[in-house]
Amino acid sequence: MDKQAIFALITKHAGEVIPRLETHDFQPSDSLRALGANSIDRSEIVMMTLEVMELDIPLSETIRAENIGELAALLHEKSVGLQA
Amino acid sequence: MNVFAGTASVDVEKLALHRGLDMTRFSNLLMKEKTVALPYEDPITFGVNAAKPLIDALSQEEKDRIEVVITCTESAFDFGKSMSTYFHSLLGLNRNCRLFELKNACYSGIAGLQTAINFILSGVSPGAKVLLIATDISRFMVEEGGEGLTEDWSFFEPSSGAGAVAALISEIPHVFQVDVGASGYYGYEVMDTCRPAPDKEAGDADLSLLSYLDCCEKAFLEYQKRVEGADLSATFGYLAMHTPFGGMVKGAHRNIMRKIAKAKPAEIEADFDRRVQPSLNYCQRVGNIMGASTLMAIASAIVHGDFGTSQRIGCFSYGSGCCSEFFSGVAGQDGQARLRAQNIKEHLDRRYELTMPEYDELLVTNNTVKFGTRNIVLDPDFIPQARTAHGKPTLFLKEIKEFHREYDWVS
Repeated sequence: MDKQAIFALITKHAGEVIPRLETHDFQPSDSLRALGANSIDRSEIVMMTLEVMELDIPLSETIRAENIGELAALLHEKSVGLQA
Repeated sequence: MNVFAGTASVDVEKLALHRGLDMTRFSNLLMKEKTVALPYEDPITFGVNAAKPLIDALSQEEKDRIEVVITCTESAFDFGKSMSTYFHSLLGLNRNCRLFELKNACYSGIAGLQTAINFILSGVSPGAKVLLIATDISRFMVEEGGEGLTEDWSFFEPSSGAGAVAALISEIPHVFQVDVGASGYYGYEVMDTCRPAPDKEAGDADLSLLSYLDCCEKAFLEYQKRVEGADLSATFGYLAMHTPFGGMVKGAHRNIMRKIAKAKPAEIEADFDRRVQPSLNYCQRVGNIMGASTLMAIASAIVHGDFGTSQRIGCFSYGSGCCSEFFSGVAGQDGQARLRAQNIKEHLDRRYELTMPEYDELLVTNNTVKFGTRNIVLDPDFIPQARTAHGKPTLFLKEIKEFHREYDWVS
């Protein structure tokens, strides 16, 4: 899965967890926190994304990402790393 | 076992409104009330008040067989002297007794429970009992200035409570029989939440949540490896987990049910209501009591579940820093009747509800009994309604004299 597809997955799940974001025009620089997702919402979004990606990594490793673009890049890096 | 959750509480929704928290997301917490420790309450008063009914129910002969007192806490007021020494004295126990204290954030209670069980199982002193007291209080004062402090820290004020659970561990388990050797543990170094300075709590709520979720999964997988045929959906009638706030347990349950049991969302929701909700009842009214939290969840599950036939309870403890453990035990009708006889619900109902001005005043007053206080006499006229709230003798801190804490029973 490429970075763009992962980005799309994250934003789709963000919309499912926080319905008012369904129509939001997401940018890579958007932070889930700034968009009103609390820590439980954010963990939920990450878990849903990892599940679809079939990626098994510790959730705590995703903490470094500051925005959705960074999160997509981090998950992409992990998935490529695990395949290698 | 018994739970003591103080003499005063606040309504969490009123507190959240008072603090101007975002109410639309607030329901995530699944919290209703929380216990607030008053200046004349400390981890000792909570612990003694929890243990007293258990000790009073023993014959002198049985009482003399208490050979270990383990205090499980992250709220100690002395780096050297253990709180077990105070418990031992205030409860009038036999001097041929081991006294010590354990710390590993919210995991302490289960670390203590397992230590106690291993002492009993070792068979080195047949018939001996261990008095386990998990006791913690939060004095809500945030460590300022760290960039790791997230806005979600505001969730922690409404959820941080105070309380103690006392339990007698012996060869004859009346309330809860722990499955011997059925434990999966998982720990690693992480800086999620901590108490880095006296009377200060600090933390990264995000990291703590994610670490809790990771540990819950890994600890269960290790349990499954060690317990032949263990199945997350089928083996346990109830689940009791460390509860910083109900929402966190809900997230962890959802995660493991999705990943390990491959359950669908509607199924997960129904499973949560059936198997997890009974364990949350007390925590929703007391708040996070850290080291005592998992034990309180077990007590809540036993009181509120259906134990017409004996049920296995799957238990998960997580302590920041971190260490976690998934283990199990069995409870039945007799144990439920014994625990119900402690009237924990009535005890919670009797706490005095603080008004917001009283609560705010308390945060300032809190400053008067700082860590390291050498001499102080506590003011018995501060919120006097709380002192008689329980309608029975309750232990309170009277004064600190040259660092020594002195208590009295008030009725």
